[in-house]
Formats: sequence, structure tokens, C-alpha cells
Amino acid sequence: MRFLFPQESQVAHPRASLLVLVWEHIRLVAISSTITIIIGVPVGIWVTRTSGKDFLPIVTALTSFGQTFPPVAVLALAVPMLGFGLLPTVVALFLYGLLPVVRNTIAGLQAVPDNLLDAAHGMGMSQMQTLFRVEIPLSARVILAGIRISVIINIGTAMIGAVIGAGGLGSPIIAGLVQDNVAYILEGSVPAALLAVLADQFLGNVEETFAYSEGLNSLSLRS
Amino acid sequence: MIRLEGVTKHYGDTRAVDNLSFSGAEGEVCVLIGPSGCGKTTTLRMINRLIEPTSGQIFVNGQDISQVRPEKLRQSIGYAIQSVGLFPHMTVGANISVVPELLHWEKERIAKRVEELLVLVGLEPEEYTGKYPNQLSGGEAQRIGVARALSADPPILLMDEPFGAVDPLTRERLQVQFMDIQKKLRKTIILVTHDLDEAIRLADRIAIMASGRLVQYDTPEAILSKPADKFVHDFIGTDRALKRLSRIGIEKFVKAPPSVSLDASMEEVQQVCEQCRWVWVVDKDKCLIGWIDRSNLAEAASVAEAVVAVDRDAIAITSGATLKEALSRMLSQGMNNIPVIDNRGRITGEITLGDIEVATKETEV
Repeated sequence: MRFLFPQESQVAHPRASLLVLVWEHIRLVAISSTITIIIGVPVGIWVTRTSGKDFLPIVTALTSFGQTFPPVAVLALAVPMLGFGLLPTVVALFLYGLLPVVRNTIAGLQAVPDNLLDAAHGMGMSQMQTLFRVEIPLSARVILAGIRISVIINIGTAMIGAVIGAGGLGSPIIAGLVQDNVAYILEGSVPAALLAVLADQFLGNVEETFAYSEGLNSLSLRS
Repeated sequence: MIRLEGVTKHYGDTRAVDNLSFSGAEGEVCVLIGPSGCGKTTTLRMINRLIEPTSGQIFVNGQDISQVRPEKLRQSIGYAIQSVGLFPHMTVGANISVVPELLHWEKERIAKRVEELLVLVGLEPEEYTGKYPNQLSGGEAQRIGVARALSADPPILLMDEPFGAVDPLTRERLQVQFMDIQKKLRKTIILVTHDLDEAIRLADRIAIMASGRLVQYDTPEAILSKPADKFVHDFIGTDRALKRLSRIGIEKFVKAPPSVSLDASMEEVQQVCEQCRWVWVVDKDKCLIGWIDRSNLAEAASVAEAVVAVDRDAIAITSGATLKEALSRMLSQGMNNIPVIDNRGRITGEITLGDIEVATKETEV
């Protein structure tokens, strides 16, 4: 790095090694994304059931609201209540990443053709069996796409965690901005971008294993 | 076996089904037919409780179905629908195994059953078990749909236009196969269709419905000869005589065909030709390959030269066909007699236009 920025006195963020920063970042995203999935997918499932159908509009509105709300504003509101560090950042990331997961879960489940549900019920599957044997396998690809988008968004948005001391790859960027040190900024942003690309590839591959749902439309038309 | 008593279904102010009572006898095919919106599908779906009736009772095997848990009821009733509804994420084998798995059958028993059913619907188990639904043709998918409906060997089958989504030729084949299977299995079947020809062909009894009511419930023959009212009369149309032909199988009218082998000598052929104007020619496996016209024989140097080759599938019909099919084949081919072949292409007989005339007169009411 030195040869790129000969005028800088330091080219690496002094607080922690790159490896530690990456680890902190991954941890942040992993925790918030896990909570997003654990809450988002069941909520998406619930509002497509008969019991939760009435809540579909309000859930859609709330999750959209969560995403329009800037994460920085969430941090500003959360810090007085939750203090500094990991917790408020996780809350902000959770709210921000919820929309794609919930929206795709709903869209995926609603796209399962009626004739398949009719067949499933007509053969004597219970609601639960229909959900786990037919609906979720068939919408898995769309749901996973939502999770992928959510994770990618979180990898980028997790940068703001550094503002309130949650660590991660945002730390060198903020330090770089304060000290006008481009090397610091790159130290934070390049690995974050790589992380995003890797996560996208990996989750994309997982989605591909559910590729059968792609032929769904043509199939239901033909048969 | 299946009995409906005063069954009514309201959707708001509209009566989809209005005080309907009828029963389907054990081992019989009962076809519900009528114009769209007449309530036939609603009726079918009430029998396995996919729709709950507003009032009235339905009995299956003497038991009031409102007292049976819907899942349990449905697992004991086969269900086949027009859109087939094969699960695209499961193989053919897994699709057929759904109900046996719900019933917790053992693995070996399920595997055996899948194989049995694929053979029954005429698909090679080794080839098809592992295929996915998007690798199937429309006709194959429909057959798998029927196999799936039969998977747990239910005594009752509900079928909603099971042959609706395929081309006419495939539909005809599926219908013939359906009748073969039904002859073997003797299931109690309620089948919904809007295709009168299909109804006449498959039904032991036809229930004609109009705006939620049962208009006439009788055998196809009786409906064709004695329509209950003007609606039924108009519904069955003007070609009643022709439709009746589709109720009559050809097997009673098939005669031994005059045929010679391809390697027969000229003398043999001439001998056979003395009795009739032409003879069918078969190869050494007795498969039909063509015919010889007596007038051609004089000019030809050898038997092989005199043969007019034919496309077997285009001119011949199979032994399970009806007189109506035979007639339409004769008309389309411009022939007065056509050969009957078995499923391996071997000639088993022939049928003539004269036979059909006789049959029409005999069944005239």
C-alpha cells in the first residue's frame, strides 16, 4: 500500500488488524441477518396464512417504513435507549434488512400456483404439510433471493456501526475521513466490497439448488 | 357408496348447487356434466370437503363426511384435476408417493406401489420414476396424475376434467386407457367434464346439471334415447345416433381378416383373393404392413411388388376402439373396411362399414 500513498505517514488503520476488522464486520452482519431471517421469514409466512391474512397490508407497510427510515437515524434514536456498541447497530441493520426478506417471502408464497395447493389439499395434506412439503420448497428460491439482497445491503450498511463503536470495516473508513487518509478509506471499503461480492456469489449458488421453481410458470401453463 | 342428500351450496345470493340428491354406485363411473357454472365442480369438491356445503348431507360408505376429519377423508379418496398439479420440485416417483407417505407406509411398499402404478398407466418405471414433471409431455403428466390419485388404492376417485388439458388424439388414448384400468380396478368414480362425448364414452351413469340442479340422471343410452326435457335434448344435440355409436365397442363386429404373409407364394395369394377383393399383408411377426388389391395381382411379378404399403397407425384401429372411431377412420381414409390391430401392430381382425350400419339399426330406439 505504501507505494500508492507515499505522502501518508500511516497506510493501515492502527486500532486493529484488517483480519480483526473483517471478523467484526462479518459478526455484525451475521447477527443482524440471522435475526432478520428468524423474524422476517415466519412473519412473511404468517401473513399469507388464513390466520394472518388481515395483517398483510400493515406488515408490508411497516417493513417498507423500516427501510425508508435511514439507519443513521435509527442509531441516533437507539443509542439513548440501548447505549453504544453492537446492540443499537444490530437493531438498525435488522430493521433495514427486514423488507427484502419479508417481501420476498410473501411474493414467493403467493406465487405458488393455486392448482398445486388444490392438489396438495385434495390429497389430504394438512395446512402444515402443505406449507413445508409444497409451498416452502417451491418458494425457496425467491425467499433466498430476498435473504441475499438483505445480507448484501447489511454488509454495506454495517459500516455505520463504527460511528457508535460497533467496530467492523467502518472504523478505518471513519478514521480515514477524519484524518483525510485515503489509504484508511480503501482499507475499509475494498474488503467490504469483496465481502459483498463473495456473499452474493455464495448465496446465489445456494439459490441455484432450488432452480426447479424457475420452470414453474411454464409448467403450470402446460400441464 | 357415495350419496348426496339435499346438498346446497350458496355463495352470497347465488346458489351454486341447489338441493342436489343423487348417489354413485360402487364400481361405477358417474359423470357430472353440464354447461360451465352449473355447479358440477363445486359438487365434486364438496365430496372431499374442499368445499363445505351450506346445507344437506353427503355420505361416503354410509358415513356422514362432516363427521370425518377432512385430511383423513381426502387421503382415502383419490383426486385428479385437469391441471394435474404435479409438484414440480418432486420426481414422478415422489409425486406418486405423497399419499402413501402421509399414511406412513413403509419405504419398500411405497417403492413397489410406484412401480406397479407406472406399469398400470403404461409408463416404463425405470425411465419415469426419477423424472421431473417438466420433463413430461402433457399426456404423460395426466397419466402420472391418475397414478397419483390411485396411489393409496382408494376405493373412490374424484376426477375433475382429468383429460381436459391435452390434444384430442392424446385424450382419446387416455380415455381408452382409463376404461381399461377401470375394467381392472372397478373403482367408484365421480368424474366432472363438459365434454359430452367423453361423458357418453366413459360413464355408467350421467348426471346432467344446469344452474345447480340435477336435470337428468341416467345411463348414457337412456339419456340419448329419452332426454328428460328440452334442455337435455338441446344439450346432447342433433347427432344422437352418432353419439350412440361411441357407446358400442367394436369387438362384437370384428371378423377374421383375409390376410397373407409377405413370403407367401403368388398362388396362395390368388387363392385367398378369389373370395374377396383384397387381402391384408403381414410380415413374419404377423404385423400389418399393407394390402394387395386383386386387380393389381395380375400385373405384378411377385407378391412383394403387388403390396400397397400402409401406415399402420393411420388406417388401423385397436381392439378397444368404438364403432364411432371405426366409422370416422373409414371416412377419413375413404375405405369400406379397416383392419384391427393389437398393441404390437399384429392384425387381429377387420371391421366393415356394413357392420356399422347393422349396429346402428339394431340399437335404434
